[in-house]
Amino acid sequence: MTIAAKDAPLIAVDDVHTYYGKSHILHGVTLHVGPGEVVGLLGRNGVGKSTTLKTIMGLVRPTEGSIQLDGAPITGMPPHKLARLGVGYVPEDRRIFRLLTVMENLRTGLDRQGVTDEKKQALLDKVFNYFPVLAERRSQAGGTLSGGEQQMLAIARAMMLEPKIILLDEPTEGLMPRMVSQISNIIDVLHKENVAILLVEQNVPLTLEASERVYIMEKGVVRHHAAARELKMNDAVIHQYLGV
Amino acid sequence: MELTAILYSIPWDQILIQTINGIVTGMILALIASGLTLIFGIMDVVNFAHGELFMLGAYIGVIVLATTGNFWLALLIATLVVALLGAAIQIVTLRPLLGRDPLTTILATFGVSLILQNYALWQFGPVARKIQEPFTGHFTLFYLEYPWYRLVIAGLSAAIIGGFWLFLKHGKYGIWIRATTQDRVMAQAMGIPVPWVHTAAFAIGAGMAAASGVLFGPLVGVNHTMGLDWVLKAFIVVVVGGMGNLGGSIAAAIFISLLEAYAAIWVSPAQAVIVSFIVLILTLLFRPTGLFVPTPK
Amino acid sequence: MTKRTNTSYWIAFSIVLALLIIAPLVLPEFWRRFLTEILIWGLLAMSSDILIGYTGMISFGHSAFFGLGMYGAAAALLMFSPPNLWLALAFGLVASALIALFVAYFSTRLRDIYFAITTLIFSQIFYVIVFTWTEVTGGENGLNFPRPRLAIPGLFSVPFTSETMHWFVLAVVTASYLILRRVTRSPFGMVLQSIRENEPRTRAIGYPVERYKIVAVMLSGLFAGLAGVLYAVQNRFAAPDFIFFLVSGETVIFNVMGGIGTLVGPIVGAGFFLLMREFLSRLFGDQFPYLIPLGVVFIVMIIFLPQGLLGFARRWLNR
Repeated sequence: MTIAAKDAPLIAVDDVHTYYGKSHILHGVTLHVGPGEVVGLLGRNGVGKSTTLKTIMGLVRPTEGSIQLDGAPITGMPPHKLARLGVGYVPEDRRIFRLLTVMENLRTGLDRQGVTDEKKQALLDKVFNYFPVLAERRSQAGGTLSGGEQQMLAIARAMMLEPKIILLDEPTEGLMPRMVSQISNIIDVLHKENVAILLVEQNVPLTLEASERVYIMEKGVVRHHAAARELKMNDAVIHQYLGV
Repeated sequence: MELTAILYSIPWDQILIQTINGIVTGMILALIASGLTLIFGIMDVVNFAHGELFMLGAYIGVIVLATTGNFWLALLIATLVVALLGAAIQIVTLRPLLGRDPLTTILATFGVSLILQNYALWQFGPVARKIQEPFTGHFTLFYLEYPWYRLVIAGLSAAIIGGFWLFLKHGKYGIWIRATTQDRVMAQAMGIPVPWVHTAAFAIGAGMAAASGVLFGPLVGVNHTMGLDWVLKAFIVVVVGGMGNLGGSIAAAIFISLLEAYAAIWVSPAQAVIVSFIVLILTLLFRPTGLFVPTPK
Repeated sequence: MTKRTNTSYWIAFSIVLALLIIAPLVLPEFWRRFLTEILIWGLLAMSSDILIGYTGMISFGHSAFFGLGMYGAAAALLMFSPPNLWLALAFGLVASALIALFVAYFSTRLRDIYFAITTLIFSQIFYVIVFTWTEVTGGENGLNFPRPRLAIPGLFSVPFTSETMHWFVLAVVTASYLILRRVTRSPFGMVLQSIRENEPRTRAIGYPVERYKIVAVMLSGLFAGLAGVLYAVQNRFAAPDFIFFLVSGETVIFNVMGGIGTLVGPIVGAGFFLLMREFLSRLFGDQFPYLIPLGVVFIVMIIFLPQGLLGFARRWLNR
């Protein structure tokens, strides 16, 4: 059943336990994502998928277990350092800086140490090429964008960090069907750019289509792990854990 | 009474003088309140020690002026020293409280204000010191010899506020500050070192308070209790202007200072303070989110 | 609370009370008065604990209630001859309750941080009024007045000595403590604590949070006024300094040092603060800026000992 990543893992989460106050959310989550790999994380509401991403991002401190990035421990590292090591985060409610313009939103990730002006321009050109609508709205406040545009901005903003991996939390939530297919295009593009993705989703078909491997969580632990190809043919498992 | 009689009975000369006075104190107050608003907006901290930072700025101005004789150097050094002090205060007392109930930060900054105020009393004694204004020219305004320096204060305060605004609007760190103010967690996730942004914002606010202390020093005596009056006024301004709203604070500072200046035509300055209290009460009654914020849709 | 801890609580309570009753008989005059003052400041601090500890609102304006209690008592003692203790109490309580209603009405309209600011500003309004209205309040110099007799009409009437003063204050403070303890454990007190824990949820359940807050502020102000009356009677003067914001600040310090949300803690805090101040000024002289070391202790306690001395002692005893 276990399928190893082809190379040494980029992100390795090992037996992580996380609490919110007194409630025990993660009961020993173990998973890994290889370089440039798209990995899906499925499960019903409230099983700890988002908490897993937050824990990797350093937004929640695990009480037990370890997390490694490129073989180096990053457990408990502050989020801003992780961001600079190349971990991008796109939270489920997108969390655009609503009063900042589109351009300023992008600059929050661009104004890092050691990024030359040419490099900045290249990064901007790249995302404006993928998301022309953002170029159009570059001096508009983030809060005035539509839901789909905000989602693009959230992903584009994470791309400014030149991430090795993006933690993508429910990118299609609340989007129109047309936007949903655009999101899966974006995932493909990121995949071609060799950016790894850990994708949390409710949309099972999209996840199975986009990912190479899939973890299924239940009650704070990973219950099932399989190649996406395999799962597509195994309705029983999907039915058992996801009820669809 | 006829209209002309009413018009004659209004003391236009006094009103003009008080308009200028009101704008001068309003700009100083705006400078203090902007720092307070910045700090509140970004870290939810009501900085009780803000008045003491203003007061320490004035004292450092006194010392540097006494040793170097250069007012502008005094302004610069006081600003920098108090900014550094502010950074140290933030690191020692507020950083450990991050994530705790915001009310604990009021307590902590209150403790800081007690310490600073009593330090100043102990170090400099109860007798007020004087800062000599950098130039003593006057121009004639009706029956008054009005000092140019007052206008310079208003201009300089406006320039500092303007510079601060440009920095927030376009500077790299300005964008960091605004992003952190809006969403601390997401700012961190974008690689912004939020704890240091907090420290820097506190230092900037402290420096602005110190600068206003030095600028205002020549108009009043410098003593250890001067901070309390100003911080109270700044609190009123911040509430009336809408908590955490920079533009609103500046507008409210000028508005309230003008009202107090006009009131002082008819009542004593001590009682003119009541006017700002009344504005505060009316604001709380009819528009508790602040006078100078757009109505939420 | 289990029966056993309840019993041991009452045993401890009785022992402390007995010690406080005996104290004036063994203490020299200076310390006798000192202890009485601790009780009075303790009552003021305890009254503000209703807000800080139980409702989660920090009042920086308790000096207004305290001071108005004082000036209310002063009015009664100056207007009526011979001066009457019970009229002083009544006047002081009415004055502080009215002020508390006024302050509460405005300052509870916004969230907690505004409460601290607006109470501070309101207390300064009263300070300015009292300070500048010289004809009535005596302005900066304040008012001096005779001390009433400790009397119940038709029963007895004795002049206050430092012992009877102490016992009288002790009786008032003990009664206040028992009343406030009862209140904090009543359904009303439970709602206050639920506001402290989660205000939106309390509102969502259907409690009129604003009204509860207003009542809490009034209750708190009433007991602060009571402390003001006691202070006026003990010291025979009222001065604007007691309305000044520093008194409110010290009240908050007493709470934090002793331990908020315990009612007794603030009294302990007042005792600790006043003893430290006395100790420091005896050691280094009257000019010593005692608020510098005490301010440092205060900040250190906020950061490392948020439960205060009492909470620390409790944890240490439970070890």
